[in-house]
Amino acid sequence: MSTHPGKSLTRISALAGLTVRDAVRSRLLVSLGGILIIGLIGLPLLISGDNTLSGRLQVILNYTLNFAVTMLSIVTLWTACGGVSSEIQDRRLYLVLTKPVHRHELWLGKWLGIVALNALLLTLTGFIIGVMTWHTLLTSPESETGKRQAREQFLLARQSLFPESPVSTQQALSSAGALLKSGRAPAGMDAAQVATELMKELKSARFVIAPTGTIRFTYPLLTPCTGVNDGILKYRIESSRPERNPIPAQWEIQTAAGIALHLSVTNYPGLPNRLLIPGSVMRGAQFLTLSYHRLDSSSPATLFMAQNGQEPELLIPSGSWAMNLGRGLLMILCRLAFLSALGLTAGCLLSTPVAVFVAFFMMVLLALSGYVESVATSGVFYIPHEGAALSKTWLDKVVLGQFKGLNRLTQPLLHLDPVPLLEEGRRISWLLTAHALAWLAGLYTAVTAVIGIFLFNRREMG
Amino acid sequence: MNDEINTECVIEARGLTKVFRDFWGRPKVLAVNGINLDVRRGEIFGLLGPNGSGKSTTIKMILGLLHPSSGQLSVLGQSPRTVSVKSRMGFMPEESYLYKYLTADEILNFYANLYGMSGPHKTERVNTLIEQMGLSKARDRRVGEFSKGMARRIGLAQALLNDPDLILLDEPTSGLDPIGCREVKDLLLALARQGKTILICSHHLSDMQDICSRVAILLQGEVCATGSVQELLATPDTLKLTLRAPSQTTLTAVLDLLERETGTRPQVDHTGRTLESVYIETVSQRKSAP
Repeated sequence: MSTHPGKSLTRISALAGLTVRDAVRSRLLVSLGGILIIGLIGLPLLISGDNTLSGRLQVILNYTLNFAVTMLSIVTLWTACGGVSSEIQDRRLYLVLTKPVHRHELWLGKWLGIVALNALLLTLTGFIIGVMTWHTLLTSPESETGKRQAREQFLLARQSLFPESPVSTQQALSSAGALLKSGRAPAGMDAAQVATELMKELKSARFVIAPTGTIRFTYPLLTPCTGVNDGILKYRIESSRPERNPIPAQWEIQTAAGIALHLSVTNYPGLPNRLLIPGSVMRGAQFLTLSYHRLDSSSPATLFMAQNGQEPELLIPSGSWAMNLGRGLLMILCRLAFLSALGLTAGCLLSTPVAVFVAFFMMVLLALSGYVESVATSGVFYIPHEGAALSKTWLDKVVLGQFKGLNRLTQPLLHLDPVPLLEEGRRISWLLTAHALAWLAGLYTAVTAVIGIFLFNRREMG
Repeated sequence: MNDEINTECVIEARGLTKVFRDFWGRPKVLAVNGINLDVRRGEIFGLLGPNGSGKSTTIKMILGLLHPSSGQLSVLGQSPRTVSVKSRMGFMPEESYLYKYLTADEILNFYANLYGMSGPHKTERVNTLIEQMGLSKARDRRVGEFSKGMARRIGLAQALLNDPDLILLDEPTSGLDPIGCREVKDLLLALARQGKTILICSHHLSDMQDICSRVAILLQGEVCATGSVQELLATPDTLKLTLRAPSQTTLTAVLDLLERETGTRPQVDHTGRTLESVYIETVSQRKSAP
């Protein structure tokens, strides 16, 4: 009776339905929906930003998304932890477990129920954000040009492109091999380390712009642009001197058809810059070559062009904002699905308050994955200044192994947060979404589930 | 109570022991201490004993909620931890561990789904049990709003959903009024006649005496006495004689004769009805009055 797959599905769906019904009847869903609506509508009203349309849109996307994700994460953990442990405490689970229900069916049913609730609340979140964004845009007193610029900046999914590297990893590795053979490489370094250093050096050399000098970047446009929307080039100039004088320069935009446009700019060292590249220039182009001509000849300063140590980033229009938001919400759902698994597993073993505490601790560890990576790579607890000498204590040596292990565990999660991408209007690709599905909702959830079900099977209901 | 009790054991325990341990694995409580138990097909078996005697622990082991520390336990020929065996069992707990936000109808449908029931068979079974338990008018009310007696009825209904071979009941008549109590006892007797095996755990000794075919008395985790109710109640050298009252002269002559024979004067009493029978008769008459 219990091994028939159809009956197993009936049981799992009954348990999932019960979880949803519990949330509806206990008014949890209504309360959460209410708080979400108040928060999502209220936050942009409370935080005015810089009073420009772009500022208001930034507030909507930034604060409301972060608010929704934080609130749903906390509620998910709380609900998941209590989903099993509170039912054990008030003994309602005894009656369920005296029926022909496998414990993995119970676990799965509860998990599916919580994921369904999250999907419902995320849909509401997406709908509210969509309505508010379009309402803000349509009712804004700004000019049509201002509205268009704001729409270009936030309400468009943009694919991030980086220029072709002057040297490939393969080339760097073969050069490193030659250096090692000839004995010119530093002692104790292997080919990979020499290649990494070579790449760094070549990149640094590439970023240098001498007075009246020129720097050139070529971007392959993987998908031809329609030309309706503009592209954005994000770059930053750094100076070798402490003075922050404005630097006059000219950008030259070139396609296969020849030079398309010259744009004059003035940049201040240390500040981020955005260059709008008209869509008409990019229409149908296979690649784009952008040349930066430094016009000042009097300044002795050497300039470096780098955005967080990387080449200037070109953002080209790629798909609609609504679809991008949808994919982002799907990635958030994957994260919440993993949190549900974490909470349920903790709840299978521990009482509600202890399970919540443990699950929150795990969540904090995941949130600190950037710090974990820093400790694992630098070998010290503190975040060292660039170029500063590291002084390792015995404690650093003792816990380094644990941090390295933790880093391996959390590494795949580092780039699976869609909120920063949505805030900046970057495209969330289907590949990234599939990555989140495979890692968060797939592997991590499955491993957590296996651990949870194994321990739950061993637990007695005394 | 059943005329033809099958000798096939539905529950068989040999040296069943349960020790509860603390966090560090040290023995804390010896709840059940090497008990032997045989519950046969078609009988109503009563598990008696004061609080803390190990009744609930034994029931939980039979249900597979607790794992025995040592000894052997077989339920319907299988280990109680086997999930498939639970499709042939029904359990009614002492308290209503039910989802209070569900209606009677929803709760029975939910548990029916857990048994893998579906379609018209499920609907028919749920409807039959709701009617049988007298809950037709309350089927759309939430269980949280039910009186204790109604909650016991829905608890019994969910235990019978799968038409089980083995029914375990913890205090089945607790919270029920005398008529409800009688109905439940009649239902259990009818189920036993159908060949169902019933294990009851109760403090209501009169109820147990009414319906149980065999009982076991537990004390401090051990079986102190076990056997059929008649065997346990019988006092072999004492007889009870019921007859229409004769004249005083005849009665005195008979009593004198019996006193000479046995050495003690027999006790004479009027037979009376039980309070339960008077209550049921009175209430039934009032209910049936136009």
